[in-house]
Amino acid sequence: MIPWLAQAPAEPALNMWNAPAGTPEIWIKVGIAMLAGFGLLAALIAAPTRLRRPISAAFIFVAGLFWVLVFLFPKPIDSQTPHDQRPSGFVQNVSFWLADAIPVVSNFSNILTAFILGLGVFSLMRIHLMRVAKKQTDWPFSIVLLVSMVAMATFGYWDWKTRLDLGGAKVDEAWPLAAYGKDLLFDGMLQVMEAAMFSLIAFFILSAAYRAFRIRSVEATILLCAALIAMLNLMGAVVVTWDGMIESFGKDNAFLMNFTLSSVAGFIRDNLQTPGIRAIDFGIGLGALAMGLRLWLSLERVGGN
Amino acid sequence: MQSESYPIIKLFVGVACTVGLYSVLYRESKFYRFFEHMFLGLAAGWAMFALWGETLKSTWWDRMVGSVADEGNPAVPGYWAWAFLLPIGVMAYFVVSKKHNWISRIPIGIILGLWSGQQVQVWFTRYGPQMQSSMKPLFPTTWSEFITPLQPEAGAVYPAQVIGNLVFLLTLLSAMSYFLFSFETKSKLFNGMTTWGRWLLMIGFGAIFGSTVMTRFTLMIDRMYFVFIEFFQQGLIPLIGGR
Amino acid sequence: MANDKTIWEKLQAIDRRVLYTLLMVIATVSLFFKVNVPTKPGQPTKDLYRLLVDADALPEGSTVILQSDWTQSTRGESAGQMEALLRILMRRNIKFALLSVADPQAPLVARNVIRAINLERKAKNQREYQVWEDYVNLGYFPNAEGTSNAIAANFKTAVAGRKETPPGSTTPLDVFQSPVLAKVSKVEDVPVYINVTGSKTSNILIERLGGRVPFAALVTGVMGPETLNYYQSGQVKGVAIGLNGVAEMESLMEKGLEESGKPPVQSFAGETNYGRGMAYYLALHTCLVLMIVAVVVGNVAMVAARKKK
Repeated sequence: MIPWLAQAPAEPALNMWNAPAGTPEIWIKVGIAMLAGFGLLAALIAAPTRLRRPISAAFIFVAGLFWVLVFLFPKPIDSQTPHDQRPSGFVQNVSFWLADAIPVVSNFSNILTAFILGLGVFSLMRIHLMRVAKKQTDWPFSIVLLVSMVAMATFGYWDWKTRLDLGGAKVDEAWPLAAYGKDLLFDGMLQVMEAAMFSLIAFFILSAAYRAFRIRSVEATILLCAALIAMLNLMGAVVVTWDGMIESFGKDNAFLMNFTLSSVAGFIRDNLQTPGIRAIDFGIGLGALAMGLRLWLSLERVGGN
Repeated sequence: MQSESYPIIKLFVGVACTVGLYSVLYRESKFYRFFEHMFLGLAAGWAMFALWGETLKSTWWDRMVGSVADEGNPAVPGYWAWAFLLPIGVMAYFVVSKKHNWISRIPIGIILGLWSGQQVQVWFTRYGPQMQSSMKPLFPTTWSEFITPLQPEAGAVYPAQVIGNLVFLLTLLSAMSYFLFSFETKSKLFNGMTTWGRWLLMIGFGAIFGSTVMTRFTLMIDRMYFVFIEFFQQGLIPLIGGR
Repeated sequence: MANDKTIWEKLQAIDRRVLYTLLMVIATVSLFFKVNVPTKPGQPTKDLYRLLVDADALPEGSTVILQSDWTQSTRGESAGQMEALLRILMRRNIKFALLSVADPQAPLVARNVIRAINLERKAKNQREYQVWEDYVNLGYFPNAEGTSNAIAANFKTAVAGRKETPPGSTTPLDVFQSPVLAKVSKVEDVPVYINVTGSKTSNILIERLGGRVPFAALVTGVMGPETLNYYQSGQVKGVAIGLNGVAEMESLMEKGLEESGKPPVQSFAGETNYGRGMAYYLALHTCLVLMIVAVVVGNVAMVAARKKK
């Protein structure tokens, strides 16, 4: 139906939605599209205040409508049927169009998410540049942050470009400066520090458990006992020893085998832990469904206009 | 070829960074904050590169401008309509504007709209099988043995299994009642069920606590392995001993 | 004297830095003892092993999709899981298409592990896994929900445009021209979809794949209880949880699997099976014992303090 949605890797036909790569035509069309897009942005900036909420709501509704239609509309029997062999008819056309559009919409959301993720980096840079410019508290640390950021981005891009130009195998053999820089900053520093940061919680858990994990109520007692059994079951040596002791009294006795640690932990896991977590999940799921519907229909009142 | 001294330099730098971050366990200091800010900067810098190199270049730019034919690859035309995504993405950056920050709701709203539209399908795919598997047999099919034997008959449901299934069902219903009946009620049955639900939920939380402890301790053990085994035992000591 | 503190009161007032040091020392000392701690694999790990090693479930030479969604923040558990998984896949000549949705760092972290296992194989004069011939790297996709939906609907168009450079060439080619993905156009074409994750991406996949393909998960301990819920309902066919799961997998790789009523599953005896899992397992034991002792001592001290009053 809409040719530009049906992207195929092997020499698709040229039409109004595309243009040959590397030609002035594609650059002109891209330039015009970007100008039109920024023109739309300018129009939105100039939009009257009373139209702001309806505009946002319209975008949200159309975005959500696609997936609702994908779920509710009849699906084609084989979505990979070639275009010239597809049945005609309104319902069939729409169902094939929806199936074809899924990867395009997903790609769209991937790209938009990538742009939005850049906002986090942008905010970080803005805050720390302002801190350095105004010499606010701890501004030297902001310089450390900005220098690290620029260094990582530079060496990351440089190494990536070198690998594209020379090939990964040649770079791994020759080890140019770009490879050293990226490897030291990424593997040697970033990855190590990320692991160290997350591991700090272990110490806080131990300290908190020592000071605060007390049997002061029925709930706390149950929690503690369940946690103890879970931790014992995680220790293979304890499981093998305990089970070995039980098995020494009669390996073929089905009644006795219920008292092995693996059976006790398995019973707790299957009949007490799993339904509890499932119940929590059901509650969360109902809430997410309700929230999803409210967001899609713009029934949520966000602060301000 | 990689320089021979590079691996030990890399390990040394890593250990220095680890010690720098671990210094917070003793006391928060400028030493710790230096490494903390370095970590944040490196993470942000990597995100800056990876968003382009790993994502935008292949999924957006190459589709928009196409690629010329080369060895083994046919020419792919560029689809100019993808160019509209740049202005939509730029809208998100209006969040910093005091006057026009409402515009940032559009791209974020699109992502939220796409998410919420999926929830209908997601709900059935995720919870349908779980609801089905929660319907467990509550009547035994055989009384030949009370306890499930070590080699049970195929398809048989033993009385001991039924007890387990009843426990499962009671736990599920009472835990759900704790969430759903969050309004005040005078019924003793409902109050009892929600109290039982709260207690039974504690078992699930205890198991979650045990698993979480395992994860956190493993991360810490991994750091100790990195410092004392990879750096000291396998890196530094052979180097010093070799000299 | 009236102000004398009992041993229990002194223990309750102990400085937190003493606890931190104790934990560090106990973990470090345990690491120097190379002991293969015995373990009894649980049913979820056994099912995972059977799924990966049984020739009927996963024929030799077939292609799987391997979604690697972990970074060094969960290296302790996820790296061990990835190493054990790659050892099994490489020994069975299973090809894989690698992708990530959780973090921009994830693809590079996964490639580093592949490189490490390749070096291990090279040292034993075994064939190294080659990019393009044995595996392809599809890269990072920032929107987990959208990507999973696209993969479920049409895998080929979901990853269209991704390129890889064949060995001996400098020109990247479309990944679907490689031997890895030549016969794969939809997700149903692969026998297993595997996710190694330190976050909730396994849940997102379960929601979107909807049973189209058998799904196996290797998750961190934090995600374990939630993933077991899906395992129990049959939405996940096998799961390894945390360091305990890694140790169980390594044990199964060493000893094989025999279950009554099911055919036996081979071991990989004679190969390097015990790795990061067993290296850390003793330390996990000692640290958990310390945690249990800390909680018990804390409660005994509380009771003793109450009795004194």
